[in-house]
Amino acid sequence: MRALSFSRALALAAIVLGLLFALLSTTANHALMDFVIRLASLAIFATSLNLLAGYGGMVSFGHGMFYGFGAYFFALTMQRAGVSIPVAIVASILGSALLAAIVGVICVRLKEIYFSFVTLAFQMLIHATILAAMPLTGGDQGLRGGVPRPPFLGLNLSNQKQLCMFSAFLLIVCLFAMHHVVSSPFGATLRMTRDNADRAAYLGIAVDRVRLKAFIIAAVFASIGGLLQALFVSGAYPDFAYWTVSGEGIFVIMLGGTTTFLGPLLGSVLMLLLNDFVSRFTEYHGLALGSVILVVALGLRKGVGDFVVDWLSARSEADASERTKTTEAAS
Amino acid sequence: MDLDSLFSCFASTSCVITQTTSGFIIGMLLFLVAVGLTLIFGILKVVNFSHGVFYMIGAYLALTVYQTTGSFPLALLAGGFGAALVGLAIERAFMSRIYGANPLMQILVCYALILIFDDLARLIWGGDFRSMGMPDVFQVPPVFIFGGVAPPYYIFVIAVAAAIAIVLALVIARTRFGKIVRAAAHNPAMVSALGINTVAIYALVFAAGCLLAGLAGALAAPVRTVSPGMGFSILIESFIVTVIGGMGSIAGALVGALLIGMLRTFGALGFPLFNEGLMYIFMVMVLVIRPSGLFGKEAA
Amino acid sequence: MTAALEIRDLQKSFGGVRATNNVSLTFEAGSLAAVIGPNGAGKSTFFNLISGALRPDYGTVRVEGRDIVGLSRAEIVKLGIARAFQVASLFSTFTVGDSLLAAVTSGLDQSERMLSRFPPPQASSRAEEVADMLGLTSKWRTKSSTLSHGDQKLLDIAIALVREPRVLLLDEPTAGMGPDERWRMIEKVREMWTRQKITVVFIEHDMDIVFAVAPRICVLCYGEIIADGTPDEIRANARVIEAYLGTPNAEAPP
Repeated sequence: MRALSFSRALALAAIVLGLLFALLSTTANHALMDFVIRLASLAIFATSLNLLAGYGGMVSFGHGMFYGFGAYFFALTMQRAGVSIPVAIVASILGSALLAAIVGVICVRLKEIYFSFVTLAFQMLIHATILAAMPLTGGDQGLRGGVPRPPFLGLNLSNQKQLCMFSAFLLIVCLFAMHHVVSSPFGATLRMTRDNADRAAYLGIAVDRVRLKAFIIAAVFASIGGLLQALFVSGAYPDFAYWTVSGEGIFVIMLGGTTTFLGPLLGSVLMLLLNDFVSRFTEYHGLALGSVILVVALGLRKGVGDFVVDWLSARSEADASERTKTTEAAS
Repeated sequence: MDLDSLFSCFASTSCVITQTTSGFIIGMLLFLVAVGLTLIFGILKVVNFSHGVFYMIGAYLALTVYQTTGSFPLALLAGGFGAALVGLAIERAFMSRIYGANPLMQILVCYALILIFDDLARLIWGGDFRSMGMPDVFQVPPVFIFGGVAPPYYIFVIAVAAAIAIVLALVIARTRFGKIVRAAAHNPAMVSALGINTVAIYALVFAAGCLLAGLAGALAAPVRTVSPGMGFSILIESFIVTVIGGMGSIAGALVGALLIGMLRTFGALGFPLFNEGLMYIFMVMVLVIRPSGLFGKEAA
Repeated sequence: MTAALEIRDLQKSFGGVRATNNVSLTFEAGSLAAVIGPNGAGKSTFFNLISGALRPDYGTVRVEGRDIVGLSRAEIVKLGIARAFQVASLFSTFTVGDSLLAAVTSGLDQSERMLSRFPPPQASSRAEEVADMLGLTSKWRTKSSTLSHGDQKLLDIAIALVREPRVLLLDEPTAGMGPDERWRMIEKVREMWTRQKITVVFIEHDMDIVFAVAPRICVLCYGEIIADGTPDEIRANARVIEAYLGTPNAEAPP
């Protein structure tokens, strides 16, 4: 499937953002605004995991480490350095890129399932480090005392509505940027290394370097998802860096579908709705969620988004053959 | 960091012996879990991320059986075979559908199983930390070796695990079943073409791995707290063991498990807060120097 | 003038078995040659050594005068060696068009660009030219994994060819095809060779094809070159006849 052209993607992003702003400016519904913020955080994270796992074939089971790292790094920078929010965001991006470069150099050489659990081990290392570095991170109590949110450019993120708009803005910008990456020559090369790394090497492609770059890019966006969460809850907790974040990410991209760019966004919406629904009815959250996952994974065998796309393309093919028949009959 | 207490321990024989004994019991329990993981991977080519679940099931079953019957041998059997039965059911119902599927699907199904079983444990046994207490047989004074403490129960666990390691190695190397299993790992299509039921072999191997994990859980019940999340931490440690030892290698699982056991007990002295972190750092070092693990054959 | 591909004293052993033994061959620019030999003669090893998949124990491989032994596969590709595979090696989720465009992009040194769009505009003319030459234009939008066997082999060659190599190595271009399809395939290969003016070396099992198409034939047997010459010379060569008739399973030269 050919990607949207640059100008069309840009136009689409602008229109969606405009509609979102219009919708949000009229609402005073707190639940809806919270939903948008949580969605932005989860969808940016999940789309970045899909960039790595879906487009790059690198199934990380430790991608949540960058989510947690982003949250802590951002919250700590805000608490300790007293800089403005955009500066702290840029610092978090650089920090997570550096971490990803170190972890990535070791991991990208590994094949399939080895890659999965070595990334998981790194996630647990980050988690253990957060618990151990008590004076800095607050250990298992989490980072408390709130994340300061000084106004910038006329934006006051302590205001829920403004934070919500800012989240929507970040979501659209990150999705647009990641879409641009996957539709660039780099994106095509990344898919080549996923499909057939050996043949890609015969075309002169430095497979490990391409994989490392993708790993770093995905980590940067995951950290943006994390820092948005830190802004939302005004703190950072070890759970943000726990392995379940990675497991949830994998579920979200499988739920929404890995073969379409927006699948993870759809998966995030479904996941949040499911979470809210489940926690309303039972305290055995894992039991309910796990059962749904088994049904989707083993029953559907592909994401909801993939399902829709396959159905649409099957229908359009049927249409096409129908048309050919009609023309043949006419002639 | 507390390097002083680490160095002062090395200066005294009794401290080294005490730490080594606890290192051994940690290592041997880990070995029982890791060897199942490595066997399942070697033969079924699936990484069972839900392997810790069976360790937890073994521990809870042992706890319940011991508390109702008061018999520790019965508790061990219940832990091991109970986990094997659950494992068999899981293999037939879920795992057998994801052999050869993409890793994303495998991880997802295992993730769901962990969520479900952790919650089931909470539902059945409650969410709080339980403990089984030391069985009466072992409530005898510890053995002192050069002034170091070695509780009899530790020696028992180490002996049981060592016996299992030997039996396992013999079964795989010497028996017809072992031969079939090795052949199935190498070329499943050929083995089933020869009229051997690979479906049954896969189910058996999976159940055997769960049996070992359940037994490890049962053996751990007297010395560790039993709680719904207990499976995951041992899972991560067993992964590290298999990465260090080399996936698919039984000898590697043993050596890796003992190395981690020692690292944990001595590391606890030197780096009380970062004890877990040491393990990851050790693993990364092995990966950088030998990506396929100490006993692994092909490059990862 | 330096040769397109010059191989000297090439040796490679696998645990005591000499897969390639003292092979020396020179291929002039723009030539077409076939490498034949009984099963297990070391033909694929020979290709693997030249394309950098394996490193020889001893010997040199020169491409237009430059020694490529020890260079990475990427560097060897840059110097102008490309290969196609016995079992088509494709990018299964790519369409025919995207496979070719992506291969051209890698040749333009743009494969890691993130700010522009795929495909780069200058890629399409070459990709379309090669698709046209190998008769793949009508399949432009077809996914690689759903192509017929013959078209997969053609696409495999096209991916190699699109990078404008100076030496193209084809490992059994007609493998797994029926008799008629084989001739169509080899006709395409010959047409491509004539039009592109590049050096083509191919491994082939079908002796009718080899003797009809290749102006030059090199015979490998147990890792050694036992004969090298025109079809007529090879037909008359006693060692070749012995090598083939000595192994009853191989097809004898006509």
